[in-house]
Amino acid sequence: MSDTYLNLVNSGFTKKLAKQLGLPQPAPLRRYRPGQPLLEGPALVLGRGADADSVAGLLSTTWDLEVHRNATPDLRYAAVVVVLTEVTQPTDLSEPVLAAAGVLKSLARGGRVVTLSRTASADDAPAVAAARQGVDGLLRSLAKELRGGSTGNGIVLDAAVGVDAPSVVGALRFFLSTRSAFVDGQLLTVSSAAGTLPSSWERPLEGRVAVVTGAARGIGESIADTLARDGATVVAVDMPSAGEHLATVANRVRGTALQLDVTAEDAGERILEHALARHGRIDIVVHNAGITRDKLLANMTPEKWDPVLAVNIAAQLRINEALLTSGDFTDAPRIVSLASTSGIAGNRGQTNYAASKGGVIGMVRATAPLLEAFGGTANAVAPGFIETDMTARIPAVTRQVARRLNSLQQGGQPVDVAETVAFLASPAAGGVVGRVLRVCGQNMVGQ
Amino acid sequence: MAASKTTTPAAAPRALVLGGNRIPFARAGGKYAHASNQDMLTAALDGLVARYGLQGERIGEVAAGAVLKHSRDFNLTRETVLGSALSAETPAYDLQQACATGLETVVSLSNKIRLGQIESAVAGGVDTTSDAPIAVSDRLRRALLDLSRARSVGQKIAAASKIRPKDLAPATPRTSEPRTGLSMGEHQALTTAQWGITREAQDEIAFASHQNLAAAWAEGFFDDLVTPYRGQSQDGNLRADTSLEKLATLKPTFGLGLDTPATMTAGNSTPLTDGASTVLLGNDAWATAHGLTPLAVVVDAEAAAVDFVHGVDGLLMAGAFAVPRLLERNGLTLADFDYVEIHEAFASTVLTTLAAWESETFGRERLGLDGAFGTVDRARLNVHGSSLAAGHPFAATGGRIVATISKELHRRRAAEGRPVRALVSICAAGGLGLTAILEAA
Amino acid sequence: MTLRTVPLPGVPGLGGVYARGAGAAARLAIARRAGRAPAGLPDVAYEVRGVEVDPTHLTDYQHLLGEPASDVLPAGFVHVLAFPVATALMARTDFPLSLLGLVHLSNVVTQRRAVRLSEVLDVRAWAQDLRPHRAGTQVDLVTEVSVAGELVWSGVSTYLAKGVSPAESGGDAREEFVAPVPTGQWRLAGDVGRRYAAVSGDRNPIHLSKVSAKALGFPRAIAHGMYTAARALADVGAARGEAFVWSVEFAKPVLLPGTVTVRVAADDEGFAFTGWDAKRTRPYLTGTVRPL
Repeated sequence: MSDTYLNLVNSGFTKKLAKQLGLPQPAPLRRYRPGQPLLEGPALVLGRGADADSVAGLLSTTWDLEVHRNATPDLRYAAVVVVLTEVTQPTDLSEPVLAAAGVLKSLARGGRVVTLSRTASADDAPAVAAARQGVDGLLRSLAKELRGGSTGNGIVLDAAVGVDAPSVVGALRFFLSTRSAFVDGQLLTVSSAAGTLPSSWERPLEGRVAVVTGAARGIGESIADTLARDGATVVAVDMPSAGEHLATVANRVRGTALQLDVTAEDAGERILEHALARHGRIDIVVHNAGITRDKLLANMTPEKWDPVLAVNIAAQLRINEALLTSGDFTDAPRIVSLASTSGIAGNRGQTNYAASKGGVIGMVRATAPLLEAFGGTANAVAPGFIETDMTARIPAVTRQVARRLNSLQQGGQPVDVAETVAFLASPAAGGVVGRVLRVCGQNMVGQ
Repeated sequence: MAASKTTTPAAAPRALVLGGNRIPFARAGGKYAHASNQDMLTAALDGLVARYGLQGERIGEVAAGAVLKHSRDFNLTRETVLGSALSAETPAYDLQQACATGLETVVSLSNKIRLGQIESAVAGGVDTTSDAPIAVSDRLRRALLDLSRARSVGQKIAAASKIRPKDLAPATPRTSEPRTGLSMGEHQALTTAQWGITREAQDEIAFASHQNLAAAWAEGFFDDLVTPYRGQSQDGNLRADTSLEKLATLKPTFGLGLDTPATMTAGNSTPLTDGASTVLLGNDAWATAHGLTPLAVVVDAEAAAVDFVHGVDGLLMAGAFAVPRLLERNGLTLADFDYVEIHEAFASTVLTTLAAWESETFGRERLGLDGAFGTVDRARLNVHGSSLAAGHPFAATGGRIVATISKELHRRRAAEGRPVRALVSICAAGGLGLTAILEAA
Repeated sequence: MTLRTVPLPGVPGLGGVYARGAGAAARLAIARRAGRAPAGLPDVAYEVRGVEVDPTHLTDYQHLLGEPASDVLPAGFVHVLAFPVATALMARTDFPLSLLGLVHLSNVVTQRRAVRLSEVLDVRAWAQDLRPHRAGTQVDLVTEVSVAGELVWSGVSTYLAKGVSPAESGGDAREEFVAPVPTGQWRLAGDVGRRYAAVSGDRNPIHLSKVSAKALGFPRAIAHGMYTAARALADVGAARGEAFVWSVEFAKPVLLPGTVTVRVAADDEGFAFTGWDAKRTRPYLTGTVRPL
């Protein structure tokens, strides 16, 4: 899907005109390509203490980046990492935050600001909790101020999780990289030190078998492509009627196609049987298949309500149960489920859809603990406005408005969702459990 | 060691049906109207590759064919392989045995597997009646060839002057038997009359075909046998809502010139259809290495032919001869089969075959038996519907039947844990018939 | 009657023969009015030696009739080669019947052995057995083909001259025709007469076009009888063997274009064939092919 407006304001005369008129000026986002350097310039690591030193060491030594510990004014930093894990009172925020402020104007296009902080809990001393929770508001506001395709995201560490925990390292790399191009203004909590760092950041899913439902088109197709690119063997699942596209996708990713109605009673068993027989294992299940049947609740009918719940949530529950009881989904398994901003913030005319997507969020939260014993996780990804066949059907004006209603002032691409899914499915993300990660360019609605 | 040169003959490998894929069959002039044979065969093959994860795989051999073939498709199967997701190093060949083409590709590739020449294979077939080859008339063709060979201006003028305006009219492929001038329907009408098959019996076969095929679709039986194509996600000819009453209203189309009442209608005859099918074959080792579950073993096959030109037997009756020979060789009787698949070229083809087997006279005089050959339990006949409902893209029918019944054999065996067998019989133009035994693996 | 052998330098072209036949017919009509019509058959046998076969001609014939294009000459092809010699005889001024308007009633060919493309043929033809028919007068034209003195093929073609009654009229009543179970049909296009004329040389106007056929009293062009007989022989196929007797009787002319429903099937003595009009249940031709 192309965004004509985005193209116009970024080229020639129309670019100048848009600037003079003060129109929104969305920046083209740089996306991930294998072989791309992690950052296209130096990184500034702010904050005092062992955690900050450790993070700086990771970036400079392990990832071989140019790392500064003190801001050089007017230098075009590609990323600013603000380590706030050791703040004990709100005033502790002052020095690192203001240091970061000094370089924001010269931040490179597509720059990254990442905060690392700790979860504020009721057990904390009030001042500690205040300082920690303050990061939340700070980060969300900061992200809204960034321009030029730059994003701000935060990693929140639960108690006892060190900054060197695999999921912290993995999340930091994800947020710094172009893989998170359309993830903005989000705080991702790492609950444990579970997970393992991949031997190759280019192919973190090597040797893993991933099932993707709804893989024939759109976001699902992109997820299949992305997981395969990251090394996974993909089982592409979709409705029998979508078989032609499904076969094309399966052949492109050198995986297998499984034509299956996910609402079938035995869908889980058939997925297991296929994956185990053909590929010998099953590690990742991405519940992407979903449908919409929009109607105001006052006009809602069972024909519009029931199928949405059946496909979007009931089928996932049934498949998960088959996976969990099979005994074959036990090697650091990953469930990644597609939620939606509608399920978080609500959307007029989408009570059915929002109920199902809200359900997904509840489901992963409750499923994750069942998988923890095997080093497994369940998480959700909540896309905002993504340029797909589905959103292309929205009336033009509504679509234009919807696109601009986020900090990046544009719609995301299917691959943006796919990259986030791939991160949550990766071995490094073992400490991210039962969470929802939004891919919405920091949509104005909801959290 | 020099001794290692001596080869010890190992037990012959089994030829296994490992799966299949076809595109839904479409009525002529429908959704595949502009798709070529190569387009459709590629779609079917790529769907198979996708289902079984064979991308980049070098398959032992791919054999397929089409009954109606453009001259540009002289190497149809190889060209299809080159355009597919299989390895470009996969060899291929074309094969044609009229409507038995699809089954013959299964049989001949199975034989290669059993001989140990290849470990894996894809059998297939395709046909389009929408994109049928139109040739120039014989006279124009000869004149053009003469013209191309002519050297002098005089020779060229002489060759060109032989072309007459009417020579420019295109020649469409013959739909009738070359030696008798009768269409297949007209031939079958003679056989139908000879065996006294009633209109009602034919309509019942057609009705059952639609019912059985519709049930299989509804059950999702074809979910892992069919990949949609060009927006066609189910067989276009299927009429789930047809009834015996509706079938009874159709006007007869064949056998109108005979003394007996005409009984063959568009409802109990197969329509012109476009489509393609493939079957994945392999030996046990290859199946294991690729994580594929063997569905069925290709046990044996027998072809037969009849002298319909001189009216000795009906054009489509060869199966009635092949099956008794096949079963005799394998020490089996009709009762040993859990499934009998008789290709429904016409409803009456099935019925005349069954009638011949039930006839004492036919058994004694034509089959050389002591009496009637036997009776087929109708509950075992074409259980998932056949060509009347699915349609019949000539060369694609064999693959459809083999893949469908192999899945059913495997399912039945898994449920009952005993040997399960199917008999397949396909009649073809030219008085041909090809039959095969499949057994659940 | 002893025949005087008249050697011809080559096989006459039938077109020329028909022209002469037309001239002869005119002279015959005048002679008949004058009461000077010949009463008997000419006592000559025409002979052409050293006839060689053109492979292209053979191939064209085989393709048109549905015979395999082998090097064995189909019995009907030998007829095509040899019969102009007999036709030339009929075009003689002393032949008692007019060539134009003769109706081919029946034909019996005895093929003694396979004749091959490379063989050089000698052809001898004469007329015999002038006799009454219920509709006129009939006569047999006998043609013999030999290779190095060995008789390999002989044909007897019986013709009827309508209305010319020598003495009394014969009375062979026709049996009612019952259509058998068909084994096939020939859909004969409008140009079948012209195409057979091209390979047989028999350009009798009744076969060529509607206009030329109308001039001679037919509503449309009619198929050559020997074309239909040769189609039946081709339908019998290889099962006829190399030596056989091929007999045919022509009942009704086949109007072109037209459809002939046929049965060509084995019987106790070989093969029998029938071609008929399925709509009117009237026979066009019946015949047999019997092994020698």
